[in-house]
Amino acid sequence: MASTAATRVATGAAKVVKPIFSRDLDEAKRRVRELYRAWYREVPNTVAVFQLDITTRQGRDKVREMFDKNKHVTDPRVIDMLVIKGKMELQETINVWKQKTHVMRYFRESEEPRATDFLSKFYRSHDP
Amino acid sequence: MAASLVRFVRGGLGRSFNIARTSCLLQQQNRLQSSTTETRPTVRPKDAVSHQQLAAFGEYVAETMPKYIQQVQVTCYNELEVMIHPDGVIPVLTFLRDHTNAQFRNMIDLTAVDIPTRQNRFEIVYNLLSLRYNSRIRVKTYTDELTPVDSAVPVHMAANWYEREIWDMFGVFFANHPDLRRILTDYGFEGHPFRKDFPLSGYVEVRYDDECKRVVAEPVELSQEFRKFDLNTPWEVFPAHREPKQAAPKLEAGDKAPEKK
Amino acid sequence: MAGLLKKTTGLVGLAVSQNPHERLRVLYSKILASLQTMPQDAAYRKYTEQLVHERFNHVKTEPDVEKLEKKINCGQIEEVIFQAECELSLSRKMNEWKPWEPLIEEPPPNQWKWPI
Repeated sequence: MASTAATRVATGAAKVVKPIFSRDLDEAKRRVRELYRAWYREVPNTVAVFQLDITTRQGRDKVREMFDKNKHVTDPRVIDMLVIKGKMELQETINVWKQKTHVMRYFRESEEPRATDFLSKFYRSHDP
Repeated sequence: MAASLVRFVRGGLGRSFNIARTSCLLQQQNRLQSSTTETRPTVRPKDAVSHQQLAAFGEYVAETMPKYIQQVQVTCYNELEVMIHPDGVIPVLTFLRDHTNAQFRNMIDLTAVDIPTRQNRFEIVYNLLSLRYNSRIRVKTYTDELTPVDSAVPVHMAANWYEREIWDMFGVFFANHPDLRRILTDYGFEGHPFRKDFPLSGYVEVRYDDECKRVVAEPVELSQEFRKFDLNTPWEVFPAHREPKQAAPKLEAGDKAPEKK
Repeated sequence: MAGLLKKTTGLVGLAVSQNPHERLRVLYSKILASLQTMPQDAAYRKYTEQLVHERFNHVKTEPDVEKLEKKINCGQIEEVIFQAECELSLSRKMNEWKPWEPLIEEPPPNQWKWPI
């Protein structure tokens, strides 16, 4: 969703757009780093409060992975939007509005990977 | 003054016309038209008096704030609609609240409409009520996914939760909102359900997992692709919304310019 | 109510005004002063001046509160005072916003076209 909007903005580059917070990419990157630090510091606390069955190390790796997932984004406005959403998630985690299930949802333990080869896809499709 | 008049558009039976075209000739036609008596009991009768009042008030608003107001129209159900530029949300709402001739002190509703084909896909709609003059007004503005709109909370306290709802359901960001966070969806929910590109089945399904001893969310799997039902009726749904033929406005521009109070 | 002191307005949060004439006089002259800074042909200034002058004249000529309420015909005198306070704050904000300027930006094509 965000990427489609980003392409649209890029095509109309001559048009002046209203920034969300950041005026340029550096400022947006600074916000991302701030958010990353906040998450990094929060992980041990989260593990303790929610009594998760993971180590702090695993949690921090997960945080890093989530940030890396969006590293291709270059539009400052899209970055700002993602940072806003990340801040809200952080707030929900810090205040323990979330429950264990919501936090563990990032780890996707119960999902089994989808089959890729033709035959197993074919067999799967016959499952009720 | 003249500029605001030119931009002025009025809807008669759901259609809007430019009243810049009003001339003596049109008024003559209007008189001819009104002389024929209304004989169709199933058709909603026109309330000319309140229509005129609303049109006059709309013109008054457009004249006082030409910087922000792009268009004013009165719909076929006698509702006054004011279309504004997104920068003008706070000024226009404050004007409508504080001006002695308006006094729209109550915010009844605030919502958004998603029309993906438009350049600015979201329409933000403010419904206001004036208890003093017993009248309602609808203020509309527009935005896209990434453009922030000024929050109306400093003007109307009631906007707080409505804006949270719009943020949650449509993903429109409101700048300077005191407490913008999700209100309806579950924690960890991704996406904005009221957007037209959000699938009807959603992205995840939740179930209780016995091994993990907790509720888990998994990508939704449908054994059959979700069917798209073709629900078009054989009847014409919006007969009044047919595109007018090129000569139509001349024939139909029945409303003459309202007299100033 | 003739001759009796008014005890309440019957509206929550709106106290009885002891000296409505004086209060209105102050407010109206403040509004007029803040309107002076706007350009002559601004529609907001024109209409508000007209409205305030009309009410100000009533306030000046009519010493009796109840008759004044009837003449202004916009609720109790406390409500009129409240409206004047709102108008004053609005006129000061209007000086910042300058809404009498021409339209900042035309809507994109087909933005207000319905049905699409």
